[in-house]
Amino acid sequence: MSAAPTTPELDLSWLDLYDDPTSAEPTKKGLTLDAIDIGDYASQEDLPRDMTPRLRGATAREDAHRMGLTYNTKHDVWADQCRSLYEEAVQRQWSSARDIPWDTLKELPDEKERAMCQVATMLAEVEFIAGDVPGQWLPHISGDEFEVGLFLMSQIMDEARHTDVFRKRALANGGGLLQQGAGLGLRNLIEAQDFTEMSVLMHVQAEGFVQSMFRMGELIGPTQADKRIFRMAAQDESRHLAFGVMHLKHVLSETPERREEIHHYLDKAEDRSAGGGSGDVTFPPVFESLCILLGGGKDRFDEGVAKFLLLRRRQVKEYLHRLDVAGLGDRRERLGSALAQYAN
Amino acid sequence: MAEGEPTEGPITAEMRAAAQALGWEEGLLERAIDWGYSPRTVVSALGTKLAPAQAKSFLDREPLKPDLTWMDAPTEWGVRAEQADADMGLTVGDIMVGSYGEIPDLWTDRTEIARGSNPQLGQEDMGYTIFEKAVVWTDSVADLYERAIRDRWAPATDLGWRSLEALPDEVEKAICQVMTEHSERAYAEASVLGRWLPEISYGFVEMKLFMSSVIYDLARHAEAFRKRALSNGGGLGLQAPTDLIRGASEARTYPELMAYLFVQDSAFLTFFRHAGDIAQNQLERDLYALVASDRERLMEYQVERFEAFLLAMPDRREEQQRYLAKAEVRLAREWNDPAVREPLILLLGGSRENAAAGEAALTALRRRQVEEYLGHLDKAGFIRSRLHSGLAVYLEEPETAPA
Ligand SMILES: [Fe+2]
Ligand SMILES: [Fe+2]
Repeated sequence: MSAAPTTPELDLSWLDLYDDPTSAEPTKKGLTLDAIDIGDYASQEDLPRDMTPRLRGATAREDAHRMGLTYNTKHDVWADQCRSLYEEAVQRQWSSARDIPWDTLKELPDEKERAMCQVATMLAEVEFIAGDVPGQWLPHISGDEFEVGLFLMSQIMDEARHTDVFRKRALANGGGLLQQGAGLGLRNLIEAQDFTEMSVLMHVQAEGFVQSMFRMGELIGPTQADKRIFRMAAQDESRHLAFGVMHLKHVLSETPERREEIHHYLDKAEDRSAGGGSGDVTFPPVFESLCILLGGGKDRFDEGVAKFLLLRRRQVKEYLHRLDVAGLGDRRERLGSALAQYAN
Repeated sequence: MAEGEPTEGPITAEMRAAAQALGWEEGLLERAIDWGYSPRTVVSALGTKLAPAQAKSFLDREPLKPDLTWMDAPTEWGVRAEQADADMGLTVGDIMVGSYGEIPDLWTDRTEIARGSNPQLGQEDMGYTIFEKAVVWTDSVADLYERAIRDRWAPATDLGWRSLEALPDEVEKAICQVMTEHSERAYAEASVLGRWLPEISYGFVEMKLFMSSVIYDLARHAEAFRKRALSNGGGLGLQAPTDLIRGASEARTYPELMAYLFVQDSAFLTFFRHAGDIAQNQLERDLYALVASDRERLMEYQVERFEAFLLAMPDRREEQQRYLAKAEVRLAREWNDPAVREPLILLLGGSRENAAAGEAALTALRRRQVEEYLGHLDKAGFIRSRLHSGLAVYLEEPETAPA
């Protein structure tokens, strides 16, 4: 008697599912997600959604399990250009181990090393949640918008790198980690109960504030390695921000009735934290370390304070500009007081 | 001294003009200088175009004297991590030095604190649920993470898309079915893993870094398989069966999730290691090899984590049999699904006419998958008490080769 598994006849019905022979053509950027967004496989508004793990375009199995609630309309999660943002993420991955000129670190005056280590401590903390939050939302993205999921997965990788690069910086030049940040506003991000709420608070507000700081990295970073860390991280943040701005724009144009609801999320976030989910930069250890770095030393602290105010103004100005681009320009009139003082 | 008097001392006419243009109240410049702000700082403040109210709150008080107590936070100071291997650069392993490299068996801080920094009292509980090292940890995570970064690849540009040539219709459709299945499987696994990230506390940050790289690997696998399905005259086929992944999303704890995924991670690794046998061209050979090499890292983590977990928590050993059994049942069921099984028979046999040979080859592949699965469990120091019959059947010696 043969013990081999029994061998049923071949069914082969799976061969009969191809009505639309598809041959995507590579572009000069290779075979991109945009290149395969064609024919029956292209992203669409009206699709028969089923909450199963099926990715868009595959033929549904009648017996497929549902896997929990997913968004059932495209505009709840979509961002135009999410495909190209994902491809850019794949092409522009960098290595905190090898792409930072660690050998350019040099012994710094103690106060500057401590200040840079304090800033790195705060950022090693802040970047950590930026990976948790997209992870939390992955199961709620329908396979019909899998590109959004892919983008979030690339963000998880980016944020891991940010967490690790700031930790590396704190431990690479004779310093160490210092005081835990104030954390204010970070919980806002993980408390979100809706994808758009999450995206506007994390991608647009929190990452926007962080981005404005990274963009001042030339002034903050005391060494070439530090400046490069800020530059590389800013390059990643610009994708996360772009996703958030494009998503908000999409939501506001497709579902304008959500405008007040979105303002309401921002009311809560702006009210609760001067850092708006990016860690509180007014928390003394963070404020003081930034002022030392911006001013160029303890004895030039007041000059650092002036530049710090410039940073705050820049954060708020760029935040309002991004909201304006997304179609929420009226935010300017109702900005929370902690931010409004910098909005002139 | 009032506004309008001849300029004296550090306040220049330009400063006065700038202050006036901004609407600053009279006397504010003097008060700032009297308080001890340097003229340079006042010029900077003017340069930032501070609004009158803001200027007042900034200049109309004693210059901020920094407190600076954070500089003396009682953390380990004086750390200069050295690169162990210049080719790898400054790795996460390199910075696991002194107290910063100590991973406590039980991490107790519920806040989002960078491990090794000095706790700030009064912080919010972030809601993490995983605080036991043995649940998530293995010492190789830092190394696996840096290897993942070193070995990254890009589906859009690292595969020879222009080299694809038309294939016989059934062969192309069989490939497309395999691609449809594995694109979904990779994506769904990444999605399930992502949902666990917020559960894991900062004590095990290096492990989360590695898990982030796994999620990103799986994203690219999902992407690459889909691209292959849509690039050579085919398309997407029938969605993957959902038994296996559904069980992963049902896991109530991380150890359950990992034990459950152990079965599929092992089976998929063996599959991709040997998928060269179903490849029709160089692109597919490259794709399978890249996927297998990414999955090697995941399996290394799986085996080492399981071993460490079982050693640290021997009382949880028997319980693992259940999770493995649950996954085995579902894997065996999916292996018998026509849309999973038949494309492989066609590809291994080369054609419908040669299905018998294809089936024999598939049986051999399944056998290898089961053997390597038991091998992986063995490496982790785990003896599977009763392998599910749907998998065990592949280990029995066939009396005669299938006709
Ligand atoms: Fe980041
Ligand atoms: Fe980010």
